[in-house]
Amino acid sequence: MPELPELNPVIHGKLRLALLSLLVGVEEAEFTWLRAKTGSTDGNLGAQLAKLEEAGYVAVEKKFVQRKPQTLYRMTEAGRLALTEYVQALKQLLGGAIGG
Amino acid sequence: MMENREDLELNERLQLIESMIAEGRRSTEKWAWTFVLWGVAYYVAIAWSAWGGATLAWPVTMTAAGVLTGVVGGRVRGKRPETTAGRAIGSVWIAMGISLFTLLMSLSLSGRYDLHVFVAIIGAMLGMANGISSMILRWKMQFACAGVWLATAVAACFTTDSQISVIFLAAIFFCQIVFGIYGMIAESRRHTRSAAHA
Repeated sequence: MPELPELNPVIHGKLRLALLSLLVGVEEAEFTWLRAKTGSTDGNLGAQLAKLEEAGYVAVEKKFVQRKPQTLYRMTEAGRLALTEYVQALKQLLGGAIGG
Repeated sequence: MMENREDLELNERLQLIESMIAEGRRSTEKWAWTFVLWGVAYYVAIAWSAWGGATLAWPVTMTAAGVLTGVVGGRVRGKRPETTAGRAIGSVWIAMGISLFTLLMSLSLSGRYDLHVFVAIIGAMLGMANGISSMILRWKMQFACAGVWLATAVAACFTTDSQISVIFLAAIFFCQIVFGIYGMIAESRRHTRSAAHA
């Protein structure tokens, strides 16, 4: 029986997975947009984004637009690769389960 | 039993990924209002030039519409994430707008203004831009607009002045005003669905 892959624990968290999946489709996104799309609180969102940043999966850019602070997040190449591997592992696990 | 629960959870993860990716792509910019704005601008320019302001009508109206698009568009865009598809479509329309403006302005200033050439150029350029956008977005309605603009460009080569005037006015009405309003309604419905999802 082939060995089943392990799922990346950094990505496996529901909110972190949602964030990476959102960021994969856009070039960069504001904190407020991510909050609206995930429906999470400021504190939780900030904490999960910090974990993704720590893992090197997202990059953060802080700037001022019309004197208002803006925090932009973009997915890094490492993040893209990690998400691809995660999806492949997930499919393999589900495939393995279906196959018995 | 335990395995079933784990499978369910994994499936949930897969569905979450799919729905979030779709959500990110769905949040493209809202641009349908620009079709209505430019449609109205064309009508204003046509009416103005018909009432005697032929030299100023088109350059002034087009410049005003361009400035308005830039200002309002900048405000709307600032709140949304940029996508590759959105940037590609935006680039096509900006390049088309600059080319059209430069060419028509030069024709107008040089006095080599001809209604047939004018409509043929506008029809061909708008047909191309709508065609590219519709292929990227896979939007049949916009593809139909591209067809109408291209047909208008071809008609401009074979019809009389009065005939092409009517065809041009009809093309503006259907491909700018009607299509723009339809796009705004579609965007608003999408926005409501998206808010409910979040």
